Amino acid sequence: MAIMAVALLLAAWAFGFVLANRPPGVPLLVGGAVLEALLIGFLIGGITQMTGSHRQFARAEFVIYLLACVAIPPIATAWGWGERSRAGTAVLAFGFLIMPVMVIRVQQVWAGPVG
Amino acid sequence: MAETGDGAPARSTGRGFGRVLVAVYGLFALAASARSAVQIATKFHEAPLAYLLSAFAAVVYIVATVSLARGDAASRRVATVAISIELVGVITVGTVSELVPDAFPDATVWTGFGSGYGFVPLVLPFVGLWWLRHTR
Repeated sequence: MAIMAVALLLAAWAFGFVLANRPPGVPLLVGGAVLEALLIGFLIGGITQMTGSHRQFARAEFVIYLLACVAIPPIATAWGWGERSRAGTAVLAFGFLIMPVMVIRVQQVWAGPVG
Repeated sequence: MAETGDGAPARSTGRGFGRVLVAVYGLFALAASARSAVQIATKFHEAPLAYLLSAFAAVVYIVATVSLARGDAASRRVATVAISIELVGVITVGTVSELVPDAFPDATVWTGFGSGYGFVPLVLPFVGLWWLRHTR
């Protein structure tokens, strides 16, 4: 899935910057914006799919996971941006790295059963 | 640079590596809050103890996140207490959930020593307490 691939690439890229001892920079910000656009699409697509489905699954959990997916990159970026050192970049890297986990959780909740 | 109450210089807990630590704590605060909110809103009667514990864990993570991010003298004390509670919580709940599985019919962040979260909940309080000492 595109989101996981993009997030993992961004995480690897950001870890490269961490190793190079660089503060968070504009290229990562642009990369994060691309990921965020994909995640907003994921949120809208997920909710559309949910309203069109009559299956039993944990709907509230599903929506909360989708919202968390959209919320995490901007929060991580804002928090990481506040530190002009490699630690700031590491926060961004961590933020990207957990996105595939979040996407997998969304898919698990979608597949049910209530966990 | 923050100053401690007794005048000794202290490195802020929210800088450097602390920046990353706060991010990890923040994620757990978010995860635990969201999980307990869903549990309590949708199925509280199924396992009240587990869900109240989820909510308690969420509060502990929120307090730890905010106090580590602030990093002044008072916040360091709050963070130390919160992270100590976190440590006791994860070990107690982890042990009880192993010995008496029926006590927790549904999972919390601390069930099985945080096995549902890659055991990060077990490692995190040790890292947190180490960081508080390290920056003193």
